[in-house]
Amino acid sequence: MNHIAAKPAPVETEALTLMLGDRVLLDRASLRVERGQVLAVTGGAGSGKTALLGALAGRPPAGVDVAGGVRIDGHLLIAQGGRLAPRRPLALQVAEVVGHHLGLDLRGALRRMADGLDRMGVPPAARRFDLPPEQLPDSLRWACLFAMAAAVGPAVLLVDAPAAGLDPTVRLRLLHRLADWARADGVALILAGRPEDGVAGPADHVLALRRGRLLPPIPLRAGPLEPLEPPGTARLHARGVGMSYPLAPGPRGEARSLAVLHGIDLDLRTGETLVLLGETGSAKATLARSLLCLPPPTAGTVVWMGRDLMAAATPPAAGEEPNHGGLRRARRDLQPLFPDPAASFDPAMTVGTQLALVLENLRPDIAADRRDHRIDEALEEAGLRPEAALRWPAALTAAEAAHAGLARAILSEPRVLVADEPAAGLSAEERERFLDTLMAVRDRRRLSLILATERYGEGLRDAHRGIVMLAGRVVESADAGTLRTAPLHPYSRAMLAASLGGRPALEGDAPSAFGQPAGCPLRRRCPLAREFCAQAVPELEEVASGHHVACHYWDTPAEE
Amino acid sequence: MAEFDQPPLSQPEPQPTGFARGLSGAAVLAALALAAAAAPLMADGSALHRLDADPVAAALLDGRGSLSFALLAAVLGGALGIGWALLAGLAGTLVGKGAERRIVIAAQRMAGWPLALLVPLAGGLLGQVWLLALVTALTAAPAVAALAHAELSVLMRAEFLTAARAAALPEREVLRRHLIPNLMRPLLAAGTLALPRVLAAESFASLLGLGLPPTLGSWGASVGLAARLGDPVAFAPPALLLALALWAACAIADGVAAGVRKP
Ligand code: SF4
Repeated sequence: MNHIAAKPAPVETEALTLMLGDRVLLDRASLRVERGQVLAVTGGAGSGKTALLGALAGRPPAGVDVAGGVRIDGHLLIAQGGRLAPRRPLALQVAEVVGHHLGLDLRGALRRMADGLDRMGVPPAARRFDLPPEQLPDSLRWACLFAMAAAVGPAVLLVDAPAAGLDPTVRLRLLHRLADWARADGVALILAGRPEDGVAGPADHVLALRRGRLLPPIPLRAGPLEPLEPPGTARLHARGVGMSYPLAPGPRGEARSLAVLHGIDLDLRTGETLVLLGETGSAKATLARSLLCLPPPTAGTVVWMGRDLMAAATPPAAGEEPNHGGLRRARRDLQPLFPDPAASFDPAMTVGTQLALVLENLRPDIAADRRDHRIDEALEEAGLRPEAALRWPAALTAAEAAHAGLARAILSEPRVLVADEPAAGLSAEERERFLDTLMAVRDRRRLSLILATERYGEGLRDAHRGIVMLAGRVVESADAGTLRTAPLHPYSRAMLAASLGGRPALEGDAPSAFGQPAGCPLRRRCPLAREFCAQAVPELEEVASGHHVACHYWDTPAEE
Repeated sequence: MAEFDQPPLSQPEPQPTGFARGLSGAAVLAALALAAAAAPLMADGSALHRLDADPVAAALLDGRGSLSFALLAAVLGGALGIGWALLAGLAGTLVGKGAERRIVIAAQRMAGWPLALLVPLAGGLLGQVWLLALVTALTAAPAVAALAHAELSVLMRAEFLTAARAAALPEREVLRRHLIPNLMRPLLAAGTLALPRVLAAESFASLLGLGLPPTLGSWGASVGLAARLGDPVAFAPPALLLALALWAACAIADGVAAGVRKP
C-alpha cells in the first residue's frame, strides 16, 4: 500500500456557493482542476463567470457573498479586457509584474518575457516593448498578457474572457498556444468566457454556467431547422463589383485611392441562401452594401431582375429626371439588415413611425388605414409584440432592436434580404433565437438571403452556398456542404478549424488594408506559402463543378 | 495572491453627466438676469449716478449691460458658427470633400488663435455697440463652427440615414425627416459654446476700458475702474458677479453638450 498522500490538486472547491444579493450565481459547486489541465467555463453575460473567477482568486467582486471552501495554489488572474495600463510602455509594465512576482530586475524580466512571447508564437520582429499597449494591435496585446503570465509561471492561471473580440482564427491560435503552455508546464488553466468566445476549443473540460449550476454545455444546432429547398433561377447578378475610397492626394498631387473590394462576381438565385464568410478586413460588409448600392460600388455592375441597380441609385446628372420608380421597385425587393440594429433606427422617432414611413415610401399601393395592420403583422412575424411599435429606439434592448430591424426589412415584402452580421451584438441565446426567426421568415416567404458573417459553422449550417472572402477577394466558393466538410483554401480551412475549436494553421495577424503584401494576401500567414505566392495574386479557378479556389498550391501538401 | 494591479483597460471612467451642472448654471444665470433687471428698483431711482449708489446695486445695474451684450453677441456668434459648419457641410456635398475640409480646418485653426484680443481693438476703433457685438461674435464663431461640424459629420455617418435610403426615401425627405430633427440639439449645444466666450471677451475689453461705452455699464469696466481707484468695496461685487456669470455660462455649455452626448 502506498502511504504517500496524493498531491492535492491546485484548484479545489467544496460546495462553493456565490450569492449576489438574494440571487444564487453558483449553487454548491465542487470543482477540481489538476496540474496541466485546461478547464473552460462558459456562460452568458451576467451568469457569474467573473464572480466565480474572483471567488477562486480570493477577491470576489463587490456585493458577491462566498460560502463553501476554496483551495487554490499560487495563482494569477487576468481580468476581463486584460489589465494593462494603456499609456505606459510595455517594458515597464512587464518589469513591474514579472519583477514583483519573481524578484527579477528589468533585464531578467524582459528575458523571461521574451521566452513567454516565443511560446505564444509572437515573432521577434513584432515585439515592441517600447510601445505603450494602446498602440499595439489587440491580438499582440493579448499575446503579451499571456506571455507575461507564462513569464511569471503561476501554479494556476485564471483568465476572464480571453482574447474576446479578436478574429476567430487569431483567437483560437492564441488560446491553443496558451493551453499548450499550461499543459507543458503543469499549470492548471481556467478560461471563462461567453459560449461564442471559443474558450471551449482548447479545453480538456467544458462546463457551462447555467442557472447557478456548472453543467456540460448544450451543443448548438448543427444543421438547418428544416431541410433547405433547392433554389430557383438567378435574379441578382453582380459582375466585377469593386469599391475604392479616395485618399488625400499624394506628394506630387496625384490622386490616390484605396481599393478594398476587387472585382467580385456573384449570382443569387431565388430562394437561395448565400453566406459571405470572412474576418476583419475581408470587405464582406462592403460587398453586402455594394449589392444594395448603399452606396453604389465604384466599379462593376449590379443587376436585379434585368434592371441596372447602379444606374438607378446614382444621383442623376443635372437636367435629367431622377429615376425614382425603378429605384423604389428595387429597394422594395432588396432589403438590408444592419450590423448595429439599434443605430439603424432614428432616435428621434418611435419604431412604429419609422416602419410607417418605410411602408409609405416603398408600398404606396397599400392604403394608409391598412398600414398599422401591416406593421403589427410584420412585428409579430419578426418575434415582437405589436406594442413594440410604440417604443422609442433607445428603449429597445439589442435583441429587440435586431428583431425590429427584421420587421422593418420584411415590411415591404422583399424578395432578397442582405444581412451584414445581423446578430453581432447579441448573446449566444439571443443569437440563436434571432437566427431561428430569420430562417423561419426566409422559409415562409421563400426569400433569398445573403448573410455576411465571421462565424464559419454558424453561417454555413443554414446556407446553400458559401463564399470565403479575404482582403476584398473571393478565395473560395462552393456549396455549403463542401465548405463545411472539405474546404480547400488554407484560409477556409483555418476558419473551419477555428469554428470547431481546433487549431487554425495560420500564423500572425491579418495585415491592415494599407499594408497588404504583394501577391496572395494570405502569404505571410499561410502554411503552404512559397516564393511564387509573392509574385502573383492567385486567380479563382474551378477545381470541381461549382467549387472555385484561388490558391496557387491548394493541392500541394505543406513543405517541410 | 497575485494580480495585475493596474487600472483596467476595458472600463473607461464613468462620465459625469454634467446635466445637473448645466441646470444649476442656467438657474444662476437666470437669477442674475432677473436681479439685474430688478436693479433699478433697488437703486431707488438713482440710476444716473451709479457710482454713488450702493456697490451691490451698482454691480447689478452693470449686469444689465454685460448680460444683454453677451446674449446678443452669443446669439450672433452661435448663428455665425452654425452657419459656418453648415456651409462646410454644403460645400462637401456640392463641391467636394476637399473644400469642406479646407473650410473646417480654417475654423479649427482660428479657434486656436487669441481672437479675444480683437475685441478691445474693435472697442477702441469702432464706436458703435452693434459693430462691437459683431466682432465679439466673430471671435467666438470658429470654435462653435468646429464643434458643430464635428457633430454634423457624426450625424451624416449615422446608420439610420442608410436605413432611410434603403427605404428609397429621396434625399430631400431624408433631410427633412431625419437629418434636421436630429441636428437641432447638437447644433444648439455647439451654439451655447459662444456664451462663455463672448462674456469673457467683452469683460476683458471693458476691463481695459476699451469695451462697452460707459453709459451701458459693464462688470468688466467697473472692475477695471475700481482697481484703478483702489476701491475694494466697489471692486468686489462686480468681480464676484462676473465670476459667477462666467461659471454659469460655462456650466450651461458643458451641460448642454453632455446632454447631447448621452446615449
Ligand atoms: S496562394 Fe500561396 S500564400 Fe496564398 S493561400 Fe495559396 S499557398 Fe497560401
